[in-house]
Amino acid sequence: MSIEAIGISKRFGQFAALDNVSLVIPSGELVALLGPSGSGKTTLLRVIAGLEFADTGTVRFDGHDISDRTARERRVGFVFQHYALFRHMTVFENIAFGLRVRPRENRPSKKEIQAKVHELLRLIQLETLAQRYPSQLSGGQRQRVALARALAVEPKVLLLDEPFGALDAKVRLELRRWLRQLHDEIHITSVFVTHDQEEALEVADRIVVMNHGRIEQIGSPEEVYNHPATPFVYNFLGNVNLFHGRLEGDKAYIHERETGHVVYVRPHLLEIDRQPNGGSHFRARIKHINAAGPLVKVEAIAEWGDPVHIEMPQEKYRDLHLTKDESVFVIPKDVKVFQNGEAPPQK
Amino acid sequence: MATALALKNLWAAADRATQATTERTWVRWSLIAVAVLFLATFLFLPLAIVFTSAFAKGVSMYFAALREPDTLAAIRLTLLAAGIAVPANLVFGIAAAWAIGRFEFVGKSFLITLIDLPFSVSPVVSGLIYVLIFGLQGLLGPWLAAHDLKIIFAVPGIVLATTFVTFPFVARELIPLVQAQGNEEEEAALTLGASGWQTFFRVTLPNIKWGLLYGVILCNARAMGEFGAVSVVSGHIRGLTNTMPLQIEILYNEYQFAPAFAVASLLALLALATLIVKTAVEWKSTQHANRQEPSTAPAAAPTLTALPGVKAA
Repeated sequence: MSIEAIGISKRFGQFAALDNVSLVIPSGELVALLGPSGSGKTTLLRVIAGLEFADTGTVRFDGHDISDRTARERRVGFVFQHYALFRHMTVFENIAFGLRVRPRENRPSKKEIQAKVHELLRLIQLETLAQRYPSQLSGGQRQRVALARALAVEPKVLLLDEPFGALDAKVRLELRRWLRQLHDEIHITSVFVTHDQEEALEVADRIVVMNHGRIEQIGSPEEVYNHPATPFVYNFLGNVNLFHGRLEGDKAYIHERETGHVVYVRPHLLEIDRQPNGGSHFRARIKHINAAGPLVKVEAIAEWGDPVHIEMPQEKYRDLHLTKDESVFVIPKDVKVFQNGEAPPQK
Repeated sequence: MATALALKNLWAAADRATQATTERTWVRWSLIAVAVLFLATFLFLPLAIVFTSAFAKGVSMYFAALREPDTLAAIRLTLLAAGIAVPANLVFGIAAAWAIGRFEFVGKSFLITLIDLPFSVSPVVSGLIYVLIFGLQGLLGPWLAAHDLKIIFAVPGIVLATTFVTFPFVARELIPLVQAQGNEEEEAALTLGASGWQTFFRVTLPNIKWGLLYGVILCNARAMGEFGAVSVVSGHIRGLTNTMPLQIEILYNEYQFAPAFAVASLLALLALATLIVKTAVEWKSTQHANRQEPSTAPAAAPTLTALPGVKAA
């Protein structure tokens, strides 16, 4: 089922949580709402779910205006950040809840409910824990139960609010891959909120980057990462070095002094060499080297005194034999220039 | 021998005061002694005196005193007043706690203060307020008299006064509970298609049931034991508007000590029963809370292979 949210605004007192946001999500897509806290992403999700009502704007499911429908009538699957499992019910009862509260005429029989719950327990691989209480489960298990509970009512739309936010790093990683796999399996239109750019880039078909109650950019992970529309998106999706710069024709130059232009360079797009290569480059002194992990992270001080962050593969690092306090040349391979938040000219 | 040795080790261990917050042995024992002495003088001794005085003239006299018609009427009236006040405050309490815990509105802190009013005002004053409103010379007095309705010096006044003084118990118990639990579970129930009533009875009520029961027990104990407010509105008509506490006072003032203590022993028994039930409820709710804690159950790690196909609608 497709989702359209058109011209949505929502204020909480003086604070504008959503400022005329419009978003169209085609049927079957897995979309991430990405942004820092306070960017309005959770509010947008709750407006779509009917847990919050917008001050202005329209929400449509499959083209039907459902702006005035309650959460109960919208029949969406909603997964909460802190699971919101019913603490006095077992895992089985939690998952069965949505089926058991149906009006008698379309409530499945006991046998059907049991079969459905067991099917879902198999799906989340917790068949043996049906009689446990939520408090007896780990965080990852609880979140999977919450997901099964939401899927039990066969929603046309699945909405997840920071689904992995409260989990530790390793479980997080496993669960988000599992979510991707699950989505590929059942193709339900899904929207999840996250502040973790890595999570959004890995899981989503499309990413909606939000900031200050507005949408900054909508695009595939590849698009938003490689062709960020605004300085905010560039900044938010990965580490970045900022330099003063100047444009001459279609060429960007890094400058020592304030120029009005800001040059953005990702750490892995800076190269270190012992000789200048004739192109654009600057001098820097190595201050700190962190060789743990797949990429070696080097912190250097540019000739004008600002810190510069550079990342390189391990092999490159071994070939160079870098040492601390050594003076080297830094060569930018690809930069992006923004002026006053305007769309960037490519290098 | 072994016991003595064990005891000696125990004392030595206790004396070492291993934790920074542990007091010296003699300090601890003196504090315990003071506490026990206090309890004995102010709680156990009066309780013992109530029962010994009640049975001073023998068991048959005890039961005869309880079977006395005026006393029976007082017991019935007390049960009636509590029987109306407690359910009424159960409903009010849940409604108030729900409103305060879940919603932001103008005058919320005023409402909280209002709920506490019966606790902060002397019961005699609350009784007098009812007399001023419903009494013959009161605000609504002439109208009530014209319609032949009697509230003051009659059963309705007693029920009203009892309801008023016991109002805060349930609400006070539930407000912090409802606030702490938040409304995510209710929102989840809503998105799963539950109606308002279904959400209340299947999600909200089970979550607050122990706090609710606790509030009801305290509310009931106070409803049956209330003296001040009821005394003002009752009029002390024997066999008609006397509750148990009032009946005790009358009997005592007439130097009928054994019957007075016999009725008093019933209230003392109620207090004991309340304590037992309260302890049971507390024990049960901690059991419940323990179940909430994450156990060391072996966690089945999610394996990421072979997803069984599920067809979503």
